[in-house]
Amino acid sequence: MISVQNVRVQAGGRPILDIPLLEFEEGKRYGLIGENGSGKTTLLRVLAGTLQPTQGKVTQQNPDGVGYMPQSPYAFSFSVLRNVEMALKNSPDRREQAARALEAVGMQNFLASRGNKLSGGEAQRMAVARMIAKPRKLLLLDEPTSSTDIRGTDSIESTLLNYTRDTGCTLIFSTHSPAQVLRLAEEVIFLDQGRILEKGPARQVLENPQTESARLFLQHWRI
Amino acid sequence: MDVINEIFRLLFGPDPELRQIIGVTLRMSTLSTLVSALLGIPLGVILGSTNFKAKRFVNRILHTLMGLPPVVAGLIVFLFLSRSGPFGTLKLLFTVTAMVIAQIVLITPILTGLTANIVSVKAPLIHETAAGIGLRPFQRMLYIIHECRVQFISTVLTGFGRAIAEVGAVQMVGGNVQFKTRVMTTAIMMQTNMGHFEFAIALGVVLLVIAFLINSLVSRIQESAGLA
Repeated sequence: MISVQNVRVQAGGRPILDIPLLEFEEGKRYGLIGENGSGKTTLLRVLAGTLQPTQGKVTQQNPDGVGYMPQSPYAFSFSVLRNVEMALKNSPDRREQAARALEAVGMQNFLASRGNKLSGGEAQRMAVARMIAKPRKLLLLDEPTSSTDIRGTDSIESTLLNYTRDTGCTLIFSTHSPAQVLRLAEEVIFLDQGRILEKGPARQVLENPQTESARLFLQHWRI
Repeated sequence: MDVINEIFRLLFGPDPELRQIIGVTLRMSTLSTLVSALLGIPLGVILGSTNFKAKRFVNRILHTLMGLPPVVAGLIVFLFLSRSGPFGTLKLLFTVTAMVIAQIVLITPILTGLTANIVSVKAPLIHETAAGIGLRPFQRMLYIIHECRVQFISTVLTGFGRAIAEVGAVQMVGGNVQFKTRVMTTAIMMQTNMGHFEFAIALGVVLLVIAFLINSLVSRIQESAGLA
């Protein structure tokens, strides 16, 4: 169980995230939705530990098993294979593990390519491979398919579904795609101005939102 | 035509002075650039990749020092090394060592500032990506250095270009002593004042050739790294 308690993040004197209590069940897949600036990235960064909240705390049993992929993951200038190996540190068969992860996202032909020469979509697929190269307890992905084409999106989604099923890993991702939420998330969390207004099963929240803000947002989404 | 002949005679003839001046200049510039790089690059990496309370204030001081007039740097080093100064007993004034120290005072802030600017662009993204896969702060720092290495080489060569073209500070603390502390820039100034234009032009040509070679090297490195 991952628990967020009384977490508040302020920037320039105004709150950008304000969550009294939020709990994530282990092994479940959560989709974060909301407008730009609603606090999705901030929440992911707080959960990843790359941003310290102004107040409150995040409790998780296995902080070492967390993988976080930012919205624009950095692709290092060495080979794609080594980019993925980075995440495996001292594992003796890291080369094979990295190659398998790259194959899972359809990048088996890019092993020797330089990371900084990849397109945005390829870099995202490589970053997802970096995340799934080893078993983790929690995956935090900030818009993991924002730059990928349809095939790339499909490949990432099916990889993540297989990975979470095989490892029992909890997945929390943000997205601007309603179709992706339905395909990938079991539960949806709707954020508005740093607050959580809706949380529940994906289809239920998307089809029958309880708050006016969520209704308006989803109306625009469908258009 | 006479000027060109004179240039070739000075460069390749029996007179050792020009070759000696070029030698001192290269030795001084190389040493001061190396020491400045060893000081400035780590400082720049720390400054560009970390956040601390007084960072804005430190940046303001650094930017001021980046524009430090050479004669002021020369004056400070002169006062420290003069007989009545705190390091007067070392008897370094009017030596190549004093000139190197003056250049370090001038170039280190420039290398620090340029490095910090380079690092501050890439560091946040690298930090976040590397932290996301569980790398420790020290490992993240190493990756930042690795990813900025090409720009660092350009920065060092920029520092060398600044060192070799500098005149005010080295004139003050070196004294332009023949066969000892005379470098290309101070020699050009002196020979021009004396009306020996051939000698001054010959030195100017050498200086320009070195500057051209440095610029070519910077461009080559940037092109090979896909930066230009």
